[in-house]
Amino acid sequence: MKIRGILLYTSLLLLAVLFLHPQQEVVLSIKEGMPAIPLAIPEFIIHDSSPKTFAAAETLYKILYDDLKYSRVFQHLPKSYYSYIESLNPEKILFKDWESIQAKILFVGEISDGDGDNIIFEGKLYDVKAERGIFGKRYQAEISLLRLVAHKVADEIMKRFGEREIFTSKIVFISNRDSNDELYMMDYDGHNQTRLTFNRIKDYMPAWSADGKKIAYTSYLRENAILCILNPYEGERLEVQSRGTNFSPAFSPDGKKLAFCSTLEEGNSEIYVCTSEGKNIRRLTFNKAIDTAPSWSPTSREIAFTSDRGGTPQIYIMDAEGSNIRRISFGGGYFDAPSWSPIGDMIAYVSRVYQIFDIYVQNLRTKQTIKLTESNARNESPCWSPDGRHLIFSSNLTGTIQLYTIDYDGANLRRLTSKGENKLADWSR
Amino acid sequence: MKKAIILSLACFLVFNFMVSCRKKVEEVPPPPPPQVKEQPKVEKVEAPPVVKEPVLTEEEIFMRKSLEEINNEAPLNMVHFDYDKYFIRDDAKPVLEANAQWLNKFKTVGILIEGHCDERGTEEYNMALGEKRAKSTLDYLVSLGISSNRIKTISYGKSQPIDPGHNEISWQKNRRAKFTIIAK
Repeated sequence: MKIRGILLYTSLLLLAVLFLHPQQEVVLSIKEGMPAIPLAIPEFIIHDSSPKTFAAAETLYKILYDDLKYSRVFQHLPKSYYSYIESLNPEKILFKDWESIQAKILFVGEISDGDGDNIIFEGKLYDVKAERGIFGKRYQAEISLLRLVAHKVADEIMKRFGEREIFTSKIVFISNRDSNDELYMMDYDGHNQTRLTFNRIKDYMPAWSADGKKIAYTSYLRENAILCILNPYEGERLEVQSRGTNFSPAFSPDGKKLAFCSTLEEGNSEIYVCTSEGKNIRRLTFNKAIDTAPSWSPTSREIAFTSDRGGTPQIYIMDAEGSNIRRISFGGGYFDAPSWSPIGDMIAYVSRVYQIFDIYVQNLRTKQTIKLTESNARNESPCWSPDGRHLIFSSNLTGTIQLYTIDYDGANLRRLTSKGENKLADWSR
Repeated sequence: MKKAIILSLACFLVFNFMVSCRKKVEEVPPPPPPQVKEQPKVEKVEAPPVVKEPVLTEEEIFMRKSLEEINNEAPLNMVHFDYDKYFIRDDAKPVLEANAQWLNKFKTVGILIEGHCDERGTEEYNMALGEKRAKSTLDYLVSLGISSNRIKTISYGKSQPIDPGHNEISWQKNRRAKFTIIAK
């Protein structure tokens, strides 16, 4: 709980792997205490006066501004500071002025009319102190794709600071808004909610492949709970395993393997692994207790999972071959749904205390656990964002089950869905 | 004479007219009660086929029904479970014994046991728990002499509550193993 209340600033740090326990291999780490980078984004420069371009500039600016604010990597300069200095001239940038109002990074956007429904947007990022450009990119896009352009620019900025792309990532989830549980997909901010499956059967527990091109999920077809792999962009669907109840798939981050739960032997849920194409199914857990909810470590060498082998459901970690099992959650309660941070040293999970389900995050290095959600509700199925700074989860906070995102430190709770009930989200890497 | 003939003809016509008038008057008022009371014919018609057809056995009646019709009649009752548990409760045993008797009677029937949970567990763990409930139900039926080859199990976790409420009465209803006939 020490972490709470303190503002956490983050930056990526390369850690020497040598001194760590081999199973706890961590490549990247969130370091506390580094301030967010002060960023200036003056209003975009508009090169023609058509209302279309003007409206596009406004839309792009707002989305980009919101993206970077969400990042927790950058910190916007207060708007009032901009009035202290001369307005921006893209031909001759007065870096000293920008430095005087404490900007470390400056983003300059210019927009002009393209052919037909198109606009042309040019973005340049500058290091203010060094007085040099970091990158520049031109985009030509239809008005209908402005959100994507803004997200791409935001991701480009993230990449330049060694961060992972998050704004063009996709979230797959289950919704019953059209009366039956079907797969849906949306942007990180809840926009562009799109239905992916159209059938009368129940679809359940989706998970993205490492490359974000395929989705493994459970389909209740022909009195079976079949594990399927869907390519939503090409509409291809593959049945991996149909005997028994098959659920809770998880692709390894290295793109090679797919872990899932199946009751195909002895009617007990065990964890299995196969290739990411669904071949060579192999069993990883062997005991009479329930083993469920696998989640890969970022190195793809370990798997966190839930088991009630100790009497109550608790979180365990095993090596990817099924050996070296150790327990990481303690207490008489009920723990489930581990999600291993793609950054490495954090595992989020659900814990039940007096019928209230909250999301907790355990730091594997310090063994410190923080409670992320605080509500008289059922908060479930956490999943990390690709950059490990945010989590998506489902909650019945408002009476119906909806999807929310929250930052790694419990700040910035956002609701993303409202139609029907929405749950079991998985964030693409 | 001619006059007399004309007169009598006229009289006849007048009389006829009056009669017909009276008829009309008479006919209008009574609402024609269609007396379809007597239909003893039905009995006679039905009689011959009854003689022809032999009485159907229970099995034959059963085989004539579609799976959907059988499932609508729900010949197999569901059983319920304690919170977070999957053992067969004492109150579930007579239910399963009756189900086993029925399965012994209709030996060709194949069934699906669906395991369900209430909302007070997590999605992932409940999927496994639902399967455990289906499996312990299967095991109990097997202990009563039903072949496991006739039984398939599946878990729906907590995704298909029959009662949408959020209290113990609803939860109790939702923690269940349900039977569906999938082959006959």
